[in-house]
Amino acid sequence: MKTKITTLIALFLLSLSATAQIDRSVQPKPGPAPKITLEVPGEFELKNGLKVLVVENHKLPRVSYTLRIDNKPHAEGKTAGVSSILGAMLGNGTLNISKDDFNEEIDFLGARLSFNAQGASASALSKYSERIMELMADAAINPLLTEEEFEKEKAKAIEGIKSNTKSVDAIASRVGGALSFGKNHPYGEFVTEETLNNITIDNIRAYYQKYFNPNHAYLVIVGDIDFDTVKKQVKKYFKKWEEDAGIITTVPKPLDNVQYTQISFIDMPNAVQSNISVTNNVSLKMDDPDYHAVLIANKILGGGFDSYLNMNLREEHGYTYGARSSVGTDRYGASRFTAGTSVRNAVTDSAVVESLKEIKRIKTTPVTAEALRNAKAKYVGDFVLALESPSTVARYALNIKVNNLPKDFYKTYLEKINAVTIDDVQRVANKYFSTDNARVIVVGKGSEVIPNLEKTGLTIKYFDTYANPVDKPVFSKPIPAGVTAQTVISDYITAIGGKDNLEKVNTLLVEADMTIQGAPFAPKAIIKRMTPNKFSMEVNVEGMGTLMKQKFNGTTGYQEQQGQRKPLSDKEIAEKKAEIGLFEELHLKPSEVTLESIVTVEDKDAYKVKVTKGDDTSFKYYDVESKLLIRNESTKEMQGQSLTSTEDISDYKVVNGVMIPHQQQITNGPQIIILKANTVKINEEISADDFN
Amino acid sequence: MKKNVFSLAALLLASISMHAQEVKFEEYDLDNGMHVILHQDNSAPVVTTSVMYHVGAKDEHPERTGMAHFFEHLLFEGTQNIPRGEWFTIVSSNGGSNNANTTDDRTYYYEVFPSNNLELGLWMESERLLHPIINQIGVDTQNEVVKEEKRLRVDNQPYGKFIENVKLHMFKKHPYKGTTIGKMEHLDAASLEEFQAFNKKFYVPNNAVLVVAGDIDVAETKKMIEDYFGPIPRGEDIVRNFPKEDPITETIKAKAYDSNIQIPAIMTAYRTPAMTERDAYVLDMISSYLSDGKSSVLYKKLVDDKKMALQVGAFNLSQEDYGTYILFGLPLGDTTLETLLAEIDEEVVKIQNELITEKDHQKLLNKFENNFVNANSSVSGIANSLARYYMLYGDVNLINTEIEIYKSITREEIQAAAKKYLKPNQRLILEYLPQKDDE
Repeated sequence: MKTKITTLIALFLLSLSATAQIDRSVQPKPGPAPKITLEVPGEFELKNGLKVLVVENHKLPRVSYTLRIDNKPHAEGKTAGVSSILGAMLGNGTLNISKDDFNEEIDFLGARLSFNAQGASASALSKYSERIMELMADAAINPLLTEEEFEKEKAKAIEGIKSNTKSVDAIASRVGGALSFGKNHPYGEFVTEETLNNITIDNIRAYYQKYFNPNHAYLVIVGDIDFDTVKKQVKKYFKKWEEDAGIITTVPKPLDNVQYTQISFIDMPNAVQSNISVTNNVSLKMDDPDYHAVLIANKILGGGFDSYLNMNLREEHGYTYGARSSVGTDRYGASRFTAGTSVRNAVTDSAVVESLKEIKRIKTTPVTAEALRNAKAKYVGDFVLALESPSTVARYALNIKVNNLPKDFYKTYLEKINAVTIDDVQRVANKYFSTDNARVIVVGKGSEVIPNLEKTGLTIKYFDTYANPVDKPVFSKPIPAGVTAQTVISDYITAIGGKDNLEKVNTLLVEADMTIQGAPFAPKAIIKRMTPNKFSMEVNVEGMGTLMKQKFNGTTGYQEQQGQRKPLSDKEIAEKKAEIGLFEELHLKPSEVTLESIVTVEDKDAYKVKVTKGDDTSFKYYDVESKLLIRNESTKEMQGQSLTSTEDISDYKVVNGVMIPHQQQITNGPQIIILKANTVKINEEISADDFN
Repeated sequence: MKKNVFSLAALLLASISMHAQEVKFEEYDLDNGMHVILHQDNSAPVVTTSVMYHVGAKDEHPERTGMAHFFEHLLFEGTQNIPRGEWFTIVSSNGGSNNANTTDDRTYYYEVFPSNNLELGLWMESERLLHPIINQIGVDTQNEVVKEEKRLRVDNQPYGKFIENVKLHMFKKHPYKGTTIGKMEHLDAASLEEFQAFNKKFYVPNNAVLVVAGDIDVAETKKMIEDYFGPIPRGEDIVRNFPKEDPITETIKAKAYDSNIQIPAIMTAYRTPAMTERDAYVLDMISSYLSDGKSSVLYKKLVDDKKMALQVGAFNLSQEDYGTYILFGLPLGDTTLETLLAEIDEEVVKIQNELITEKDHQKLLNKFENNFVNANSSVSGIANSLARYYMLYGDVNLINTEIEIYKSITREEIQAAAKKYLKPNQRLILEYLPQKDDE
């Protein structure tokens, strides 16, 4: 039964004889291609369905075991995480050996044994190899699934999730799968604190019963063993493992690719680099006729250091430490093409553009003969180098089995790699790498990268770190040390002329052109103010007379619209009375203001200050650089809906030693009103009568 | 249960005999002072060519930190006979793989090729040493790349600044106080002439060891080495005179903040002897005793039984001039850092006060034997070990005999080393805390 078939494989390496004398200005030519042989592992199967592959290699006195249970992918839904907790619980004692004794013995033997929900792996010196196999089998067949162990692993899993909440790479990986495959797909779902809390010990035991069984399992043994001996050992220790009743599951389809290329943005304010991946789903199996051509195309695009992506993003532009691409294969038709990199915040937009450019390039421009030759040579080399490890042979044999590949898959592998043509590369690049239906997932610091990403012209959709769609967030930046609401306000007062100058302002007259979006006429507004709180505003339209009037004289007031006059309500009067002075900032109390964050307002960084007066809160935004007030924002409840009104302030000009904004844009829900001042006068032309 | 005890007893009786698995090697010097080590293994058609230079972050000018690592990037930019940007293409188009890495003590470059490309590997490494092109274009490009490497590996990485903060407090005079990646403003300030001078000083054959390992013919290989490396001129001898640290006599308490984490960590660090000292080996065993494997003392107590920690660990950061012994824990649930520290300390005190059991001692020996067998499993791994043992330990044969050092360490020595080096007043206590947003 012991088989040791070897196959001689032709290497498609350049082979020339070495030159006798060295000339270091000429790159040395390779010597004759080495002969390589591909061993075939010994095989047998137990009655319970466990298939065993054995590779003898006596170079070092050690043995390794890998158990792989080849279940179909399945989603875990509301109890996502059940398999990972089972994996953590397995290999900690058996029904025959207590947990402490079990772990003690593994360590004592200097061995390694670890489990996951789809199998296990172990390694030991040859002298302990039988005992390790015995322990591994016992742990697989008779696990100790105790309540106590379950609670502990659950708590650790929850803490583990917490510890990753600020890891850009962890979030990128979670969101990447969820957006591409769908949150309900086995490859797209993820574990959360909530799903972990849903899991009970019964779920764990049921999962073990259903999925941890020998009839889809492979045991791969590599190392310093003898086939016949190891066969007896496997039979002895694994024959009691019972097969399952048969699981019938179907693997769902992944989500369709996006309709058009778009950015999916996830904001992480702590990020110093953006994690970018340009991705689309593909359906590619290892036995697909395109397989070898896809490997080569990916190698040229982003499969190595001298690939299109890395040479552009790292070597040409210095954006990144590395850029790579990959194409997954999957028996069930759900895998992804991904071109990914991590770049500093400032070049995030450029890196997105350049990545898409390189993908487009391999789709539209034939690769050079040299690039093709180099990519093939790298595959040949990797194939040769991998043979150094005895586990390679086992891996190849296992791949053939689980992927239903032809028996000669690896024997003909290099031949097929070598047969790939320039046309093949372009054809498969167009078939598998998308630039029209690509999802560009960017996880990064929104406040620094969004303004530029918006300039790429790609649609940006926003998601939270759990892949839920969200509105565009307000991005905030850290506030420098020493800056408080008080310093922001006093800087503003200084910037517009200083306290002394401001206090000299008794009246203010503004005559402005008014633009009401959507309105066919262009009114003029005359706004008058007098300390402490007198206010008057008249809006006139040429040929139509006064459109609107509002007056407050310090005690009473009214509003007049198209001739109809309505007195101010008690509440409105109280609000007007509460205003003391023409410059609110001179009178804000420290208890009324808090500095919230730095956010971006119209491309500028601004301090966001929250003003709280009684039950009312509003926000003021001050430009970090100029210190000037650039926005007021307040939210009002109207008929059960909250309506946010913003006033954008700009075009500051000096009048009587004070900086007065000459433009205001008021956005009230869908309504936009712009006021452009053409006359501003301080302490002139106003009397108390103007407010009656 | 009974069976288990029986098998353990049987194992204890079994002698620790090993297969002979000696790594054979041959070493010699070229006339220019370059040391050469050859290791022949024809079992797979693979060859590794590698050069280790005795230059690391500790050799840098204090105002030019990061220079040694920067060189690791710069020396892929091209040579007089290898055009800029071609290095990686040459390697991969000949079926090879390559890389390099830098520590505080040394810089290591290597290629792995199918064995018919041995000459190519030697040519490339000799080109790198003889006449690399160091120009402004290369410096400017790699400056950006190195900055991205730092963002990737340090700034954006949870717990990425932990070693940096430990070293900062543990070393006041010795250049180990800095990081290998260095300060970016130092690299920005470095002139092209400074880069060229660094190359001239450190990248000389008398400061390097060449290792060729794998499927080779020894005589042919020696001739090629002489052809490619023989003509490279010897450089000035390098004199190293690093300042000595004063002993730590009072506990250093410090805090560090990381914006990429949610769960804090407690860390303690002790200064320990250089990697070549016998006590450094003893401390390796103590680390293993404390935190290697599920039955190790700290893991079992804090992660498993008491459920106070998400993770605990101990490791001995061995370096050429000093070691740093680090213990760390990430609390689980409501456990405070103080409690976690007290629990960790309790176990350290036990090692100081009592001998570890004979069984635990045997367990350590078994672990180190297993590590020893696995350490020599690939030709490229063997090449790296040969270079390291020559350059940093001064004894290449340690690749075969290091296990004997571990085997000879007694329980009494373990207790003595714990007493001598792991004293509370000789350490740093570092609270590694989440940085809150907007702070």
